[in-house]
Amino acid sequence: MSITRKQAQSINRRRLLGAIGAGSAAAALPGWVGDVAAQPQAKQLRIRLGADISILDPAKIFQIENQSVAAHIYNGLVKYDAATNRIVPDLATSWTVSSDAKTYTFKLRNGITWHKNFGPFTADDVKFSFDRVIDPATGSAYRGQVADIIKVIEVPDPTTVRFVLSAPNAEFLHKVTAFNQGWIVSRKAVTEIGDKYNLNPIGTGPFMFSRWTAGSEVRLTANPDYFEGAPKVAEIVMRVIRDETAAAIALEKREIDIFFALQQPEVIERLRRTTGIKMLDRAASNTLNLVLNMTIKPLDDVRVRRAIAHAINRKALIDGYFRGTKYPADTVLTSAFPENTSDVPHYAYDPDRARALLKEAGVSGMRFDIATPALNPYDKLVVPIANDLNQVGIQTTIRVLERAAYGQARSSGNVQSCVTAVVGPPDPGTPLVTLFASKSFPPGLNTARYSGVDNLLASVATELDATKRKAIYGDILRKSMTDLPVVPLYADRLFMAHTDAVEGLVQNSMFTVQAYSVTLKAS
Amino acid sequence: MPRYLARCLAQLLVTAIGVVTITFFLMRAIPGDPALYMLGDFATADSVAALRAKLGLDRPVIEQYFLFMRRAATGDLGTSVVTGQAAMTEILNSVPWSISLAFWGMAIAVALGVPLGIVSASRQGTWVDSLVMVIALGGISFPVFWLGLVAILGLSHWAGLFPTLGASSAEGFWTAAHHLALPALVLGVSVAAYIARLTRSAMLEVLGQDYIRVARAMGVPERRILYRLALRNALVPILAVISVTFAWALGNAILVEVVFSRPGLGSTIMKAVLSRDYQLVQAGLLLLAGAVVLVNTVFDVLYGVVDPRLRSR
Repeated sequence: MSITRKQAQSINRRRLLGAIGAGSAAAALPGWVGDVAAQPQAKQLRIRLGADISILDPAKIFQIENQSVAAHIYNGLVKYDAATNRIVPDLATSWTVSSDAKTYTFKLRNGITWHKNFGPFTADDVKFSFDRVIDPATGSAYRGQVADIIKVIEVPDPTTVRFVLSAPNAEFLHKVTAFNQGWIVSRKAVTEIGDKYNLNPIGTGPFMFSRWTAGSEVRLTANPDYFEGAPKVAEIVMRVIRDETAAAIALEKREIDIFFALQQPEVIERLRRTTGIKMLDRAASNTLNLVLNMTIKPLDDVRVRRAIAHAINRKALIDGYFRGTKYPADTVLTSAFPENTSDVPHYAYDPDRARALLKEAGVSGMRFDIATPALNPYDKLVVPIANDLNQVGIQTTIRVLERAAYGQARSSGNVQSCVTAVVGPPDPGTPLVTLFASKSFPPGLNTARYSGVDNLLASVATELDATKRKAIYGDILRKSMTDLPVVPLYADRLFMAHTDAVEGLVQNSMFTVQAYSVTLKAS
Repeated sequence: MPRYLARCLAQLLVTAIGVVTITFFLMRAIPGDPALYMLGDFATADSVAALRAKLGLDRPVIEQYFLFMRRAATGDLGTSVVTGQAAMTEILNSVPWSISLAFWGMAIAVALGVPLGIVSASRQGTWVDSLVMVIALGGISFPVFWLGLVAILGLSHWAGLFPTLGASSAEGFWTAAHHLALPALVLGVSVAAYIARLTRSAMLEVLGQDYIRVARAMGVPERRILYRLALRNALVPILAVISVTFAWALGNAILVEVVFSRPGLGSTIMKAVLSRDYQLVQAGLLLLAGAVVLVNTVFDVLYGVVDPRLRSR
């Protein structure tokens, strides 16, 4: 932090106190004392955060609020083009893949420097970033994503980095794309800042982390030296506004400029009708799923699982509860993935068919438990689902657990079913491996204990031909929809509202926001 | 006085040890694990084990407790497992926000509640009394987050008098006061309802006593009876409820904090409980308990001021 700003602050404070002669009032009203001097308003972009941030270290980062802040600070070797989800250059200008898909060599940009004088960015920082995720001592949440894949990382020269993999992997680029573990950190910054790095991140991105006021806001300042050009706004203020209705009013009153990850259908409808507010929407890269534990009887019988799928009126859920703010899901992927297909078995709403299947399986008076985290909309949408299941004679109980207890219950492996979404980058491996690979439990999301596509998942990684790979993905989706360890409930859809002062905002499919492209019209 | 202070300190120490011990075991008794919480959906068995070892969660709970108490005795309450910051620092950062809200909320509550209670008691059975009591009933019955949303809609959105967000990032006394006004008003109104009802019943009790009847018979003016003779005696129970609600408002203003997007002690502790951030919860509750003891001590002294009979204690 610059000393000059601190001095300016204290001078301001003193002058202010003197001017109003209100030292005692200030003692009773200290909320403002810690705040930064007001910046010029015109070039300040204000974004709503639904919850406070906690961790900005890419090795441990989770939650869309943290990821949205990090997306402004860090770069990856490559990145997803926000509009198309194609993988495009970021810190690497080009890359080559060996013919056996075991060696990936990246050529890096020259002359990039780390924020706040942490020196030049080099290939060694890339090696450090991934070695750090792989090192068990780091305690990275993403160790499992790369540890078994990467054998060694070599740095032949400061602008070249080479990943040698332990087995051919055609989907490796997704693991080094700018998101979570793919964000590159500085060896010097992480080593020097140490334990405090979580909330003092250093990156190469368009914005630099400036200040966090717990529970209130995060401030980012533009990086004038950004390699793709300085941002067009001078500062981003991310304001924590937990309540969606309050956030909508704040947007209407121009107290904020961007409101992303909107959830409540009423708030979406309201803002759509408001003049001067623009609403963006697109398919997300996640579905919401009911995961059935195949080790618990009678869920081991595929007819019972299919009966559950036939019993749930997903169209009514989307059109009724969600007022059309979600899309139907054919598989656990969404239309944001080019790998998705609708050429899979479908389970239309048909209570009679559900009853018939249960009878065929010899199941009557079945008791069924759904565990769900106490998060909107998870804990609400299970109510109509339980109702549908009761209609066909499956006596359903809902267990709403707050997040930490839910995680514990899920890891125990004895919940019959749970509601889960795999929110993440548009890497088809992410939802498919986490939901269907037998290695993803315990702990993990394969609470179905499914192992039916392990071979296909292994072969898709080694298949170098893109067309053949897509065909294998089709096979995985068809097989999983036939065996039905997971019932996709709907495909998520993302809503992002902004005022008409905001121009050039591009919505990604990952629940986060990145506002580098934004210009603010003077209003 | 020194003996009194020593007693207060001893009380504080016992309370602190009790609160920390109960919090320590309670937090570990509820299901959920900080390591699982932090590692999330992509956790692997080794990474969970490694993080648990790093956080010291793999040791027996009783060993963890004594280790924690030994450090706490030197003033080290540990670091937040989520952010890695010192737990007490993180808690102290949110304290000014809570104190300003609780202080102004209580000021509004007292300024509204006490006069309304007196007016209502002095006109017992009239339409004024009924009106005040219906309003007070409303203030108690409507949840504070609902009052908050109505206030945002009415006073901020339609009338445009106040900002929607109850905290400002810009510096300046008036800006901060402007942002604080609406949350303080909502908290104040909801607490004022309790205070008005209590003031009314305390006043009625006093007004029914013999010495008031004698004063009336002697022709003492009604105003003097109300404010000099009755109110002074009614003040002790009123002060008691104010001291209890002040402590309550410090931590429980969380709903107001959520609606108005203000940081504060309540939301920090809530967030810490949800993420199983044990150290942060312990530091937060310790501070809250300390604040309650402190506020009670201040009010103990105040009782002495309003009622000389209590001074000898």
